[in-house]
Amino acid sequence: MKKWKILFAAVLLTMVLSACSGGSADGASDDGGDPDAITAWAWDPLFNIAALELAEEQYVQEAGDFQLDIIDNAQKDIVQKLNTGLSSGTMNGMPNIVLIEDYRAQSFLQAYPDAFYDMSEHVNIDDFAEYKKAPTSFDGKQYGIPFDTGVTGLYLRTDYLEEAGYTPEDLTNITWDEYIEIGKDITEKTGKKMISLNPNDPDHLRHMIQTAGTWFTDEDGETVNMAGNEAVGEALRVFKTMLDEDIAHTNSDWSSRIAAFNSGDIVSVATGNWMTPSVKAEESQSGNWTVVPIPRLSVDGAVNASNVGGSSFYVLNIPGKEQAAEFLASTFGSDTALYQDLVTEIGAIGTYLPALEGEAFNQEDEFFAGQNINADFVKWMMEIPNVNYGMHTYASTDILIGELQNYRSGKALEEVLEDAQKQAEAQLN
Amino acid sequence: MNKLKSIFTYGILSIAAIVSLFPFAWMLISMTNKSSDISQGRLLPGSNLLENLRNLFESYNVGSALFNSFFIAIVATVLCLVVSSLAGYGFEIYRSKGKDIVFNILLLSMMIPFAALMVPLFRLFGDVSQVFPAFGIDTLYAVILPYVSTAFFIFFFRQNTKMFTKDLIEAGRIDGLSEIGIFFRIYMPSMKNTFAAAGIISFMNNWNNFLWPLVILQSPDVQTIPLLISNLGSGYSPDFGIIYTAIVIGTIPTALIFFFLQKYFVEGMTGSVKG
Amino acid sequence: MNLRKSKSIIGWVFILIATIFITLFYFYPMIQAFILSFKSGMGANLQFIGLDNYIRLFNDPVALIAIRNTFIYLIFQVPIMILLAMFFSVLLNNPKLKFKGFFRTAIFLPSVISLVAYSVIFKYLFSTDGLVNQFLLNLSFISEPIEWLMDPFWAKVLIIIAITWRWTGYNMIFYLAGLQNVDNSVYEAAKIDGANPIQQFFYITVPMLKPIILFTGITSTIGTLQLFDEPMNITKGGPGNETLTISQYIYNLSFEYTPDFGYAAAVSFIIVVLTVIFAVIQFRLGGERK
Repeated sequence: MKKWKILFAAVLLTMVLSACSGGSADGASDDGGDPDAITAWAWDPLFNIAALELAEEQYVQEAGDFQLDIIDNAQKDIVQKLNTGLSSGTMNGMPNIVLIEDYRAQSFLQAYPDAFYDMSEHVNIDDFAEYKKAPTSFDGKQYGIPFDTGVTGLYLRTDYLEEAGYTPEDLTNITWDEYIEIGKDITEKTGKKMISLNPNDPDHLRHMIQTAGTWFTDEDGETVNMAGNEAVGEALRVFKTMLDEDIAHTNSDWSSRIAAFNSGDIVSVATGNWMTPSVKAEESQSGNWTVVPIPRLSVDGAVNASNVGGSSFYVLNIPGKEQAAEFLASTFGSDTALYQDLVTEIGAIGTYLPALEGEAFNQEDEFFAGQNINADFVKWMMEIPNVNYGMHTYASTDILIGELQNYRSGKALEEVLEDAQKQAEAQLN
Repeated sequence: MNKLKSIFTYGILSIAAIVSLFPFAWMLISMTNKSSDISQGRLLPGSNLLENLRNLFESYNVGSALFNSFFIAIVATVLCLVVSSLAGYGFEIYRSKGKDIVFNILLLSMMIPFAALMVPLFRLFGDVSQVFPAFGIDTLYAVILPYVSTAFFIFFFRQNTKMFTKDLIEAGRIDGLSEIGIFFRIYMPSMKNTFAAAGIISFMNNWNNFLWPLVILQSPDVQTIPLLISNLGSGYSPDFGIIYTAIVIGTIPTALIFFFLQKYFVEGMTGSVKG
Repeated sequence: MNLRKSKSIIGWVFILIATIFITLFYFYPMIQAFILSFKSGMGANLQFIGLDNYIRLFNDPVALIAIRNTFIYLIFQVPIMILLAMFFSVLLNNPKLKFKGFFRTAIFLPSVISLVAYSVIFKYLFSTDGLVNQFLLNLSFISEPIEWLMDPFWAKVLIIIAITWRWTGYNMIFYLAGLQNVDNSVYEAAKIDGANPIQQFFYITVPMLKPIILFTGITSTIGTLQLFDEPMNITKGGPGNETLTISQYIYNLSFEYTPDFGYAAAVSFIIVVLTVIFAVIQFRLGGERK
């Protein structure tokens, strides 16, 4: 029992000692006393964090004394930390700059209107791709500085296409129904599945629906628009057909989704351009890939261009906001040279219009058999229909994913949409 | 008959051990493989172990995360054992109507999901930060404090105290020990097995704790192992080799703690006092 | 009389620190959460709305599905796990058993594993073309692969398997610790009286372990009613909402969707009420003295 007492005393002593010594250091960072240390939260060391580092490097050259502390947190962790911190009313420990996915931006901006710093004077949103405006602004004020585009493409295995007697042109600018028809043929001839789908993952539904320029809510971002929404119904039908017709491999999470194409088991990947590094990770497939425009829904006015994911930077309304805003404005808000480096060094395509040409967009990629994929993505980006993601993207897609289950077990599509509408109206008030 | 019984016993335990250990074998194998091999489910050891280790230690501050996790787990466990065992003992040995009511109310505190307490608790620590920044947001103590006393361990100690031979207390009183002396000199040594079990569980809970450290810790220098592992998977193209290497490193301490403390599960009966 | 009084005061001293800490770090936030459950709004803009959140709850199909799923887990999983844990602890308590340390550690280890690794491995093992299906197919237990992650029934089975795998060893520890407090001489006496191992188990072990059985029963019930990790990480609540639990729904309402902390708090108190009901039932069944 002596041992216990000694251990206990030792622990208490360590606590007191380190509390005293740690106190001063913690105190300084807590109240943001150091004006030059700006903190930023982002989530991918190879992508948006690398981009922030690049921006810091360039900014220091111009502005001199500036220090950016970039903190790596998983995206879902950032969402949780931000919600807990902002709703508690203590801005304590919050970062100066935070990266938020476009789908979630409105729910943060509207739920915590005082927490974000108005960037209207620091950035001209008209310099950016049109479709970035709705998610990043609120109540006539511009809050976000767009970072990357989530422009989609259809990644294709040219060797499998050839084996089945097709060329990439056959899959260029087609509808999803045509895609399914071709897919059935290719699957039969090559034994490879056409696409890998996760019935619980809403990514595909989202980019399909955006090809038609509509969303789960109306332009006000709040009125639920699912019952009788042709695009939503079509997307569900296409998704179900792909699963039923046996052209789809099923995956259950991110790693099995990546494994599906890295292992060479599937013919195509329909997703955002941010998937490029993962596709290129399997070097043995170099030269066998190409990217064509994403298929569109068979709905009037649908185009072969869409968006999935994509995010923007926001400045929090805490001490240091001016420096943070200044930094973002002089880098992501106006620095065309930076955008060239982002493409060549990180593979990130921005949406800043004056910077979408030049050397970086003229490079042929060996992996894609010499295709200039960046220029192609930029071309498709210009055609992305403008949609207000509104307040309820995640809640709506969860409801639809739930209803998809009923649809697959035989419920009529019309009923599916009506029930989804009812559920959403009840849940979203 | 006896032979049959032992075949049965060893058979069942071996199956249970294989089922339990398979994922660990998979983890250890994955630690030696390249990311793309892991996501394709390779079941054979590879040759990428050193590279994974180097990548992990070069790009991430594993040492500091290990230190923070150890600090939190050890301090929280020691404090929790003392505070909860005192309370569990107090509730059972000095049982009274009033204390039973208090006990039942305390039990209520573990019936609400932590997610519901997080925002008010964060606000509380925001206030603490104003007065005692050393115990406020973004400090290791803020992680520890809510786990110093939990209804779970008080309940556990109380239930075990029910099985404690009360005669020993009377014997202690006759020997002239004070009430607190009885607790430290008689109860604690004879309940080694209970303390060992509680120690293992508390260490493990604190070591693996995720939700609360996630919201209360902000700066990289106070990051813990589970937060580090969560961040490793944050990218669009995560390196699974690094992730599994970190997971194995993060699992070893609890496994070792268990291995060292488990001997008390056989020594309980032969303990000095009860024998 | 005086001695008794002073002992009672000493008793209060023993429980004082613990009570202060729990009041500060659990009851104070809990009361705030309770007040919050009468408010509604996005994020930080909250208005007082009285009982509306609770009324909304009973008309919310997703909440009702989550409550149903949670009950299904509770009814099947808790008894299975507790019986298994007791069974293993009795086997491992056999003084003649060899490799005890190894078996004990092996069976306990699943509860140590990092959630990330655990969920990835389970998803991999139970995928449609995964090892579990291959194994079952080879042994001709099934004629076509089971869609573990896509089928509403099998997804629930998968969650139950996963929780049992992870938490059996954890509960076993409490029994092993408890068994050390049972005097071996009782078993010796029973053996002389001709009691077989099964009789010994039901007539000696179970009654002696009653306080621990009550403890694991209540804590496992609480754990299952608050179940979050497994459905969140293995099935994401799917297919549809078929494996969604109450805790996961609370998480979605607070962090996944546009935050509505007031409604989330109201849903949380449903868990509190359910837990209290189950705890009272178990205390009664456990025959606690009044």
